[in-house]
Parts: sequence; C-alpha cells; structure tokens
Amino acid sequence: MAGSQDPNENPVAINVVPMVDVIFCLCVFFMCSFKFKQIEGKFDSWLPKDKGLGAMSADMVIQEIRVAMFWDEPTQTTMRQLGSRKVKSDDELQQLIRSGYDDAVRTGHPDIPVTIDAADKVPWKDVITVVNLCKREKIDKIEFAFGAVAK
Amino acid sequence: MSRFAGPQVEESVACNLIPMIDIMFLLLLFFMLGADMSARELEEVVLPKADQVAQESKTKDPNEGGRTTVNVFHQHTNGPAADCPAFSAGQVCRDMTHWMIAIRSNYYTLDTIKGALEEEGKLEIEEVGKDGKAISKREVMIRADENAPYGYIQKVIEACASAGIYRIVVGAAKPEPK
Repeated sequence: MAGSQDPNENPVAINVVPMVDVIFCLCVFFMCSFKFKQIEGKFDSWLPKDKGLGAMSADMVIQEIRVAMFWDEPTQTTMRQLGSRKVKSDDELQQLIRSGYDDAVRTGHPDIPVTIDAADKVPWKDVITVVNLCKREKIDKIEFAFGAVAK
Repeated sequence: MSRFAGPQVEESVACNLIPMIDIMFLLLLFFMLGADMSARELEEVVLPKADQVAQESKTKDPNEGGRTTVNVFHQHTNGPAADCPAFSAGQVCRDMTHWMIAIRSNYYTLDTIKGALEEEGKLEIEEVGKDGKAISKREVMIRADENAPYGYIQKVIEACASAGIYRIVVGAAKPEPK
C-alpha cells in the first residue's frame, strides 16, 4: 500500500516526519500572517481643473446646501449645523439635506451642491458620514470648503 | 514455548500520515495563495464606514491614468507619537504632528508631501492649462484613518491641487452586515 509505514513491505520508505514538521511550520507562519481583506470602496471627488483655491469672486451669489461642522473640545464630539439650525442626529441631517435639495430642484437648481465646511479638528469619519448621507439622497455634487489662504 | 500458542499478533501500530499530509498541503496551499505578498501600498488604516461607497470596477478605462494611494495614519507604533495618551485611550488625537502620510511605504509629512505628489503628477500629464501649469490625469486615492483630523486631509488635497492632480478618490469601508 502506498504510504505504508512498514519497512518490511517497502525497504526504501521515506521518513515523512521532517517534512510534516516543515509543513506544520509553514502552515503556522501563513496562518499567522493571513489577514481577511476588508471590503473597501471609494468616493470620487474631482477637484476643479480651471480654478484654484479662492478663485471664486466674493460677490457671486452661492446657491448651496452648507453643512458646517465644528469640533467641541469638552465633549469630544462634532457639532453639525445646517444653516442656523443645529443638527443632532444623522437622520435629522439627512432629512434636512433632502428637503433643501427638493426645494432647490423645485426652484430649478437641480445641480445645487452640498458644501461641507468642516473645522480642522473634525474627525475624518464625521466628514465621510455627511458624504454618505448625501450619497443616500443621490446627491453627487459634494464640495469641500477650504479656508482662505493667508497672504 | 507452548505448542498451542495462538497466531502471532503484529504489534506495529504505525500511524498512517498520508491523509494528514494531504490536508496539511491543502491548508498550506490555501494560506500561501491567500497571503498578501504584494508591495505595501496599503498601510494599516481604520477606514471610515460608509454604506454608499462605490466598489472598484474590475475593468479599467484606457483613458484613465494610474493611481497613487496616499495613506494618512497615526504614527502610534513609532516616532514621537509612540506614547500618545489620546490615541492610547482610544480617543481622537488632534495633534497634527502625530499624523503621517505614506505612499508605497515611503513616509512623508505635510511639508514633504507636496514634492512627492508633484513627482507623481508628472508621471501622467493630461494637458497643460492656460497658465502653463501641467494637469495630471493620475488619480490619487486618499486612505485616511477615520480619526484623522479633517484639516490634515485638507492639506493633502491642497497639495494634490497644487501638483496639478484633480482626480481625488477617498477610501471608505463597507460596514459589516448585521
């Protein structure tokens, strides 16, 4: 029989024990270094090609839905505001974005952008949460506000 | 010796190792094929979760440029931020000097990233703008840690803009199904 351990049956039987040891070691090595890949995705965000930072004139009337985000140091949380209204939950913000967008569509501005105006210290995940809420409302035009460059 | 001794019983109880070796080989093959041996383009970063993220398409548009992955992460494993109390406590670290940028395992700060992105941009120039500035068709994917300060990522986007790179993609992870 192939693989029999009886030396009388097969006088040139191979000693497989070292091979098993090596395979065990290799197996342990690969098992330890193995990582299950997380499903990753992306949000496209094309920058304007023809205008630099702060190129927009100040007297231009901006039609936008602006979400302001501030970092509250004592509570270590992000405060969000749409217009003058403070927003507490994601659902509330999504609802406000939806109604703002619906109003813009009704008044003939379907390409109105949502501008995310976040402070420096706001965690990236909170910014992405707002992007995600906009995507849920099928709004593709999302802009990131930049502070004016000091001269 | 007794004349009526019973039949001789074979005492060899050698273990048959062959099925075990077969299974070990299969396991080895699985882990070898599953192991990520590629160059460390992706740093270990906890991406922000978003359920609306677009999946990577398998086919690539020939007009599209290549991609540079910019990782933004907290340097809690080494460097001056090794003992950052905020990060160690699982809080949000707001110290800009504790964050770092990596492109293909080369490490940069906000001061040095601009030069690196300019080099990347020069790899694939799409057109030259009216002001003589080259516009690159190279795509930059920003894989930033979920707790990275927005101001830091803003500076990276700004560096892309000044390097003539306008195709920016931000990485996010699909939340695990409940």
